Amino acid sequence: MSMADLLARTKGESGGGGGASLWDLPFPSLDALHDACGAIPESRDLTLGLERGFLSIRDALRVVIDPVTQPLSWMLRESLAVMTGTPWWIMIPLLLLVTWLVSKSWRVLVFVAISLALLAFVDHYVAAMQTLAIIFVCAFICVLFGVPIGIAMSRSDRLQRIIIPILDMLQTLPPFVYLIPLIFLFSVTEPKLYGIAIILYAIVPVIRLTDLGIRLVDKDVIEAADAFGMTNRQKLFGVQIPLALPNIMAGVNQTIMMSLAMVVIASLVSAPGLGVLVLRGIRSLELGVGLVAGFGIVLLAIMLDRVTKASLARIDASQARR
Amino acid sequence: MNGQVKISIRNLYKIFGDTPQAALTDVQAGMGKPELLEKRNHVLGLSDINVDIHESRITVIMGLSGSGKSTLIRHLNRLIEPTAGEVLVDDENILAWDETRLRRLRRETMSMVFQKFALLPHRTVLENAGMALATRGISRKEFEADANRWLDRVGLDGYGNHYPHQLSGGMQQRVGIARALTSNSGIMLMDEAFSALDPLIRTDMQDLLIELQAELHKTIVFITHDLDEALKLADHLVILKDGAVVQQGEPQQILLEPADPYIEDFVSDINRARVLRVRSIMKDGLVEGEFSGEIDHNDNLEHVIAMAEGALDRRYRVMRDGEPVGSLEMPAIMRALVPRQASRETARN
Repeated sequence: MSMADLLARTKGESGGGGGASLWDLPFPSLDALHDACGAIPESRDLTLGLERGFLSIRDALRVVIDPVTQPLSWMLRESLAVMTGTPWWIMIPLLLLVTWLVSKSWRVLVFVAISLALLAFVDHYVAAMQTLAIIFVCAFICVLFGVPIGIAMSRSDRLQRIIIPILDMLQTLPPFVYLIPLIFLFSVTEPKLYGIAIILYAIVPVIRLTDLGIRLVDKDVIEAADAFGMTNRQKLFGVQIPLALPNIMAGVNQTIMMSLAMVVIASLVSAPGLGVLVLRGIRSLELGVGLVAGFGIVLLAIMLDRVTKASLARIDASQARR
Repeated sequence: MNGQVKISIRNLYKIFGDTPQAALTDVQAGMGKPELLEKRNHVLGLSDINVDIHESRITVIMGLSGSGKSTLIRHLNRLIEPTAGEVLVDDENILAWDETRLRRLRRETMSMVFQKFALLPHRTVLENAGMALATRGISRKEFEADANRWLDRVGLDGYGNHYPHQLSGGMQQRVGIARALTSNSGIMLMDEAFSALDPLIRTDMQDLLIELQAELHKTIVFITHDLDEALKLADHLVILKDGAVVQQGEPQQILLEPADPYIEDFVSDINRARVLRVRSIMKDGLVEGEFSGEIDHNDNLEHVIAMAEGALDRRYRVMRDGEPVGSLEMPAIMRALVPRQASRETARN
């Protein structure tokens, strides 16, 4: 008996004599229903419909979103121009000065100095500065919007219930997915295209931790503030924000880390910096280029993390509780 | 009791739950706390409270946990809104006040001391002491002298630049008291202010409070669950149970004539010799005859017993401000030392 015979026999047995059987019943999906009745749309029509719908509101969206987000483009362009245009012998000491002011730690300062020198030594200085420029702008905007949103959330349970699912979605949606509508909305030459993508991805922790930090402020202290007749404003700036600061700073640290992760992905949509080199490594299989740039990103990440953690430790130390 | 009525609480009710107003009618119709919880799922916080708080006196509100005493004190500055009733401060109903006026009340008329201190952990001791003044918009320069003066007064000179977490619990509460005093308000609300402290430090703080009160004559509302503390501090004692006032009056009076078995139970463990004063049990009026000596009307019985060296045949003349006002015989002391409940039980046997 040949192999083909055997196969035919088993097929015949499991099929129960051929023809339509319960075993082969398809799930009543759009495509299956369309096969049975032409009036029912295919699932391809659904995706097509979504696309058409988006394209039809695109112009209206642009009229609103374009001018609103234009400052982001300017900021990114300016920041990139300044960070890469300033000579290295001004820029590196400047960055070290900022490191010192924020962290007040010799170890961190020495680490940052060595890392920057190393990056510059292997000729990744410009790319690293571009990446840093983008992160500074995006993290700044994340804090600018994230902290007030977090404060608003901490004051209203209803707002919190609305915003938390949005934050969950932003955090779980693969970053590539929200690049897609952004590409449709803005031209690829505009820096705000990747700016918005980074901000949407990285703003989540600062909002969450601001909300949490303010909600965790000792109820007794808040009651004392009320009992001594503080206004809401005095309470917010004099008590709640200062006491929530360690949590808010932890959020800022996370936000910076996440914007660094996203800046690499955003190089797909023309974000300059170390990400471009990584992408080159992947596209043209240049192993060395990709790996060196990758290590460069790791160095940047460690630098940013250590500096923000050191400042966080300073805040914690100055108000250790009980 | 002399002194003007400073705060008057009238028919105050507080019911916790979703529809307190509906539950209120039931409570006013006579529904009790357990029944209300079972049938309507509302918690009766306070029920028909009527208390007058006199100026320049220490009014102690005492009760076990869950009796509603902390809820009650928070009605005095409206940290909690009542379900029904009135709170009159200087004859004005503060429940009718708008936010601005209420804030002024909290800033200028009332200050509060908390069980868990509730100091601002990110501010120095000096800044904490000046918190009330800073809240009024007074600059640090101007309140510094005031704050330092009160910190010195409570025994914290030199600690102005420390942070609260660097101080012990007792010292933190001293900062809490300095904060209340610096606000220069006439009324001080003290919510279990000494309950979180060690017994010895608690005694120190009570002495400090009595000393300050002798000098400052504030209107103090003091919450406690500790009867010894209540008897030591109180000019007027209010005993709460399950959100209602069981008895109020002069502490000595409550001790000698407890109104119901609950209070009898409560006062039975007290060292009566130390708490009861001569004036509460002496025989009024000038009495002729032989006296073994003179005692002050404010001496406690322990002092008299020690003076008599335990002998029962002594008779003392009671003096007030150098004038004889009555007499006291030792058997009267012995009778007063036995709680009413115990004496009744003995009689039954």
